[in-house]
Amino acid sequence: MNWSIAAPVVSAAFLASLVEVVEAFTIVLAVASLQGWRPAATGTVAGLALLASVVLLLGPLLSRIPLSSLQLAIGILLLLFGMGWLRKASLRAAGVIPLHDEEAAFATETARLSAQGRRAHRNLQWVAGITAFKAVLLEGLEVVFIVIAVGAGRGLLIPAAFGALAACALVLAAGIIIHRPLSRVPENTLKFGVGVMLSAFGVFWTGEGLGIAWPGQDLALLLFAALFLAAGLTGASLARKRSMEFA
Amino acid sequence: MAILGELATELVSMFAGEKRLTLAVLTLITAAALLVDFVGLNQLIAGTVLLLGCPVLLIESVCRSARTQAFAARAQSGGK
Repeated sequence: MNWSIAAPVVSAAFLASLVEVVEAFTIVLAVASLQGWRPAATGTVAGLALLASVVLLLGPLLSRIPLSSLQLAIGILLLLFGMGWLRKASLRAAGVIPLHDEEAAFATETARLSAQGRRAHRNLQWVAGITAFKAVLLEGLEVVFIVIAVGAGRGLLIPAAFGALAACALVLAAGIIIHRPLSRVPENTLKFGVGVMLSAFGVFWTGEGLGIAWPGQDLALLLFAALFLAAGLTGASLARKRSMEFA
Repeated sequence: MAILGELATELVSMFAGEKRLTLAVLTLITAAALLVDFVGLNQLIAGTVLLLGCPVLLIESVCRSARTQAFAARAQSGGK
């Protein structure tokens, strides 16, 4: 395995999954604190099982697609996804949109579930299970995409999946120990970093899919990442100035 | 069914959360592909267009969103 490409792939999968798993954990914890661990665990396991079947179905299909077409398709999707994250992280860093707050998300989800409980007490276990299922499925979908996207272009699906699994294990362990929303995780910094990495991968693979041979091959990723980092920071700085000028 | 709807919304928002940025990036990629395939331009020049174009589009999108938010905030506060 070539570590110059495997290391960014594994770390992108790990860091991106960390952000998503923290968000899913907050909702699962809200479910568990209101209705106990049974519906929370059932919903989580059902969500994970569905995501695993998506990966098992997609994995063999991907190997049938020619590499250049796969790189082009994944590159375009990564570019759109990564730049979306980087844009949002820059706006949050500039203070234009509020930072994601896990304590607030936990309070909102708890209040929503309590209100539903007052309306339909008999179905609350079901509602709680579905809430956990949806959280795991929706956040997990992004994890699955990231793992496939960063791993498939270079045949590194398994290392990328290990990166994502390590993030799940870390969040789970931290959650079990502190038993509260993981609000101290620097989510926007992580999102900024992952946005930079995914955008860099996106340009790299889109270019390779178009037949462009990047000078320096995999090392070109470092230059691409530096460019996106500079763009994200410049964007945040200009956005801060703009919002102060117009405020 | 509601879950399927939310799943579809999530999928769309993953790649096209900001429609103008999505359209601009897709246009840039198409332009780079056309430069390589039809104009016959050196691949590296097309690559450079793609590589430099994306960060420029990102900065423009961030600044536009900041301006829009600031205008909206000013309008809400009565334009003071």
